[in-house]
Amino acid sequence: MHASPAPTVLSLLIPAVGGQGGGVLSEWIVDAALLDGFPTHGTSIPGVAQRTGSTTYYVELYTERGAEEPAFSLYPVPGALDVLVAPEFMEVGRMIELGFVSPSRTTVIASTHRLLSIHEKIATGRAIYPQEALQRAAQAASHRLIAFDALVLARQHGTEANAVLLGALAGSGVVPISEAAFRKAVEAKGVAVQSNLAGFDLGLTLAHGVDAAGRAAAGAPSLDTPLARGAPAAALPADIRSVIEQMPTSIRELVVHAIPKLIDYQDVGYARRYLELLEPFVPREGATAARLGMGQAVARYLALWMTYEDAVRVADLKTRASRFERIRASQRQDAELVVTDFLKPDLDEIWGVLPDRLVRPFARWAERRWPHGRPTLGQHVRITTVSGFLRVWLLARLKRWRPISYRAREEHAQIARWLEAVRTCAARDEALGAEVARAAQLVKGYGDVRRRMTALHETLLAGVRRAAAIEERHGAGYAVSTALAARLRALVLAGPDGEARVPATISAALDGLEAGDAAGAAERLTRHV
Amino acid sequence: MGERSFAEDVKQLGYGDGQILHGEGILAITKALLQSGVSYVGGYPGAPISHLLDVMADANESLLRPMGIYFELSGSEAAAAALLGASINYPMRGAVTWKSVVGTNVASDALSHVASAGVRGGSLIVIGEDYGEGASILQERTHSAALKSSIPLLDPRNSLTSFARFVEEGFGLSEACNEPVFFSIRIRACHMRGTLRCKDNVRPAISMRSPVAQPSFSLERINLPPFTYTMEAKKFTERLPAAQRYIVEHRLNEHIPGSESRLGLIMQGGLWNTVARSLNVLGLGDVHGRTPVPMLILNALHPLVPEELIAFLRGKSHVFVVEEGMPNYIERELKALAHEARLDVEIHGKELLSPHGEYVPALVVGGLRKFFTLAPPSITTVTAIEDRYAALTAHQEKARGYLPQPIDKRPPSFCTGCPERPLFSAMKILRGQDPAIGDTHVAADIGCTTFSTQAPFNVGNSVLGYGMGLASAGAVAPNFGKRVISVMGDGGFWHNGLTNGVAGAVYNKQDSVLVIVDNKYTSATGQHHNPSTGTNARHEPTGMTIPQALRGVGVKWIKTIDSYDIGGTIRTLREALTTRVPGLKVIIASGECMLEQQRRVKPLARKELAAGRTVVTPQFGVDPDVCTGDHSCMRLNGCPSLTLRESPDPLREDPIAHVDASCVGCGVCGEVAHAAVLCPSFYEVKAIANPGWWTRFIGRLRRRVIASLAPA
Repeated sequence: MHASPAPTVLSLLIPAVGGQGGGVLSEWIVDAALLDGFPTHGTSIPGVAQRTGSTTYYVELYTERGAEEPAFSLYPVPGALDVLVAPEFMEVGRMIELGFVSPSRTTVIASTHRLLSIHEKIATGRAIYPQEALQRAAQAASHRLIAFDALVLARQHGTEANAVLLGALAGSGVVPISEAAFRKAVEAKGVAVQSNLAGFDLGLTLAHGVDAAGRAAAGAPSLDTPLARGAPAAALPADIRSVIEQMPTSIRELVVHAIPKLIDYQDVGYARRYLELLEPFVPREGATAARLGMGQAVARYLALWMTYEDAVRVADLKTRASRFERIRASQRQDAELVVTDFLKPDLDEIWGVLPDRLVRPFARWAERRWPHGRPTLGQHVRITTVSGFLRVWLLARLKRWRPISYRAREEHAQIARWLEAVRTCAARDEALGAEVARAAQLVKGYGDVRRRMTALHETLLAGVRRAAAIEERHGAGYAVSTALAARLRALVLAGPDGEARVPATISAALDGLEAGDAAGAAERLTRHV
Repeated sequence: MGERSFAEDVKQLGYGDGQILHGEGILAITKALLQSGVSYVGGYPGAPISHLLDVMADANESLLRPMGIYFELSGSEAAAAALLGASINYPMRGAVTWKSVVGTNVASDALSHVASAGVRGGSLIVIGEDYGEGASILQERTHSAALKSSIPLLDPRNSLTSFARFVEEGFGLSEACNEPVFFSIRIRACHMRGTLRCKDNVRPAISMRSPVAQPSFSLERINLPPFTYTMEAKKFTERLPAAQRYIVEHRLNEHIPGSESRLGLIMQGGLWNTVARSLNVLGLGDVHGRTPVPMLILNALHPLVPEELIAFLRGKSHVFVVEEGMPNYIERELKALAHEARLDVEIHGKELLSPHGEYVPALVVGGLRKFFTLAPPSITTVTAIEDRYAALTAHQEKARGYLPQPIDKRPPSFCTGCPERPLFSAMKILRGQDPAIGDTHVAADIGCTTFSTQAPFNVGNSVLGYGMGLASAGAVAPNFGKRVISVMGDGGFWHNGLTNGVAGAVYNKQDSVLVIVDNKYTSATGQHHNPSTGTNARHEPTGMTIPQALRGVGVKWIKTIDSYDIGGTIRTLREALTTRVPGLKVIIASGECMLEQQRRVKPLARKELAAGRTVVTPQFGVDPDVCTGDHSCMRLNGCPSLTLRESPDPLREDPIAHVDASCVGCGVCGEVAHAAVLCPSFYEVKAIANPGWWTRFIGRLRRRVIASLAPA
């Protein structure tokens, strides 16, 4: 651009999310360009999008110093955009969708971190836009891509993401503005100058590095700062180790995480019980994908289910030294911390930790008395005080009586029903068995949420077993039952609107099967919604 | 007042002849008002013109008052329009501003009266046209209001110099035709950054320092028969013709000839920049907007000057009108004129563009391409234009293919820590827990509270107008099987909710529940002061409160709640929805706007920290091993700081909740989890920086005891 003979208007678009500092970034660019003598203008459309909505800032720069102002446009022209500076990665996707990013012209400088949209957050399962898909689209749609996680970098270096992006813009060489002018613009703003300049330098170096590598993107895409994943414990009892070593790799990879979790949850005996329950579902290495998938699903969800979060478990997790260290690490090091926990166990959770024989009659009565929303015991516990800590810590000591608790009997009875369903379905059809095994993904949450999710899980099992029974009569495979199981799980994981469609979906599938229209029923279930 | 400090802008408003102002379009307009010798300025805030009022408020003491200029933040747009009444009798220049079209609608009664009586002093109405991308209101244009009231309408081309010039011309035009004048400016133009060579400010002849001595009376200025007939006649026999003369004499519209003399482009002034760039990318103009295609740039949209239009049309075979908004008055007028004058010219417009929506470059480029295909210019070929168009658009179809699924919308929502969020959490929880009373009709209102209609709450069945929440429930309440709820912000309450809503509901014995969300500011427009803020825009104490006003119009059942207390809010809502007390039940949900609070508290905390004093900062967190990732909390909260991350447990596939560093510790996530009985994952951590020796001592003691018991 520097040597281009005829002066041109450079067009820079900054798509941001409200409250993200896109305004400051665009002001830095405009100020720097003006300092270097380039006729420049910038505009924005804050409006209501100011808070969490998507919003854009737009800058135009005329590449001839001191020239007469061109006819500035207040909008970018799709296809005629030179630079996209994106502080958030899904906004890159939005600009691609809107046609602004052109493979023949547009340099994309983007932070790969994500600010999730409300729709991504409110689904019961995973509804986050696939990061790899955004990465691929950014790569394919742009002329040149400089993408890295500016937020993680900024946090590591005590600066702001938009300062790092400014540096990357300077380092990319796509605008003729000098580094000195950028620095002067940051200084002139007079806000957090030192840390912003540090961020600028960081971005500058990074963009130079990327240049050498051509189109390659630096920095891994991330969903916020990744937490340390639990590492498999090294020392496992020999008998357990030998069982695990017999397993196919894809299942072993899960079981090595499951065993320490179960031992931590209860004891080694509990882990052995897990392996016994899992054993019938573990195929040989090289088994069909469906069988392996079923084994994986059982390995994963059985471990999660067996470590259900009762009041004892919560108390245990809340009183660990590692927890206090984690909280301390997130705060100023010299500060005193007061931590308050919001605990509100309901009746189920309270008697759940008591012996089954003691509370069962009462529990049955209470379930009839309060079918929805049981009475609760709300308390704000200051866990960093000795009395607060002791209250929770003492609860955690009930762990050794957990196996005889009411909750344990209930949970294990449900687990047995699920495993039985998996077994009988797998006997009919491997793919169906795998889908039924995956149904246990729905079992999560606390209190009413958990009861609702467990009920939905059982509704799914019942519906699928009925469908499978009809298909068995017809003798033409289990396509509908398998699709039904997958569809119901997806519906529930989509959120309450999806949950509401569960009964109708089951009825439609069963009606279709009864009417002898298996093909139509399967088609309806697999149709994209 | 306002979102930030405007010290730098205030300084620039004082600039004299030859000094260069750097800032946004709206600042240039503000400066031009002072250069035009205004005696008064008022208005009601709203995007995109809030800045004018913010800067004037901050400039009041240092600049306006010494010049004798009166400034007010008016009670509503109607009150702002009525300010122009000062210019009916006295030769004072004055300016008012608001967001259009909604503000113009509110103002229209007063506007019609001012426009009928006519003005002696130049009167300018700066209307921020909130239309198109980023707009926060319904989509209508102001053009028809100008037509029906015979108010001249300016829509100048976009540069700070042009804005300043047309402010001055606007006053001249107003005085020439004795009508107030609309000065229309679009969102992006308001926020456009550039420079302006300033002139000296002009001290008004009539002002607070040199007031009017004698009242001026004339029956001709009273809107009663027979003079209403005279006024109407004058508009068309004297005032509009005078305006047309002024427009021609001062060359407000620009006729730029070109070598393609058979062709022509006519556009609104505000669209010139887009047309110029569109011609440039199609190869028909340079970057400075010079083009061989003759152009008529209409900086004055009303009244049009027929002679000017005919002179442009004459000798042309094809003319293209780029006119944003419907109805397309200009295009129709042109066609009628061409027909009457028997000109053999084809006039194209909307059919090549779009009947609706903002005229963004993609639309205009496409329209021009179609026009030049119909009427090929001689300097280039249709093929060349097509090639250029293809180069711009070829990638677009492919681009969508790169994305496996559509990109999620990002609806606007409440800020982090907003006091309004917990109210709607409470309403949603009650709706779920007790649908027999809680799942009822909710009449929403305009303002930040409107976001309750969006995900994750979806609370609010209708949005009618500013302060209209309660009034819009008037015919629902008696015809609905449950007691209904309406919502109103404090801004809307003072704007007109008190009279149209509350007084009307009490008067008509409406049995319903009104929730007034009192966050102490008119926050949606940028934390503007309103009567219950405690001080007005000039920072003078007011002593007005919402309960006083409610009692004054006869409301008996009034409860004030702390909006962050979700449990208490649910109880109060339940009580209001079930009590046997007839009539209007009003709940005031009180909590200060968090943006404003943080602006005040954060710098203070920084100062205290630096001085080594104790500062307590609350924040919330989620225990990642306790959260099972069902996201129920998200559906009742939606806080920007409450987000998702991967679980540390590799067995868990679904992401878990996470509170990021932007948390301000308002406590709503904990309260929601508590009130809705969700899960024990949330905790609050109060960080006590620079603790005293006792706090440190106790802290050490506690940590020692806990460490001796806590497992790893």
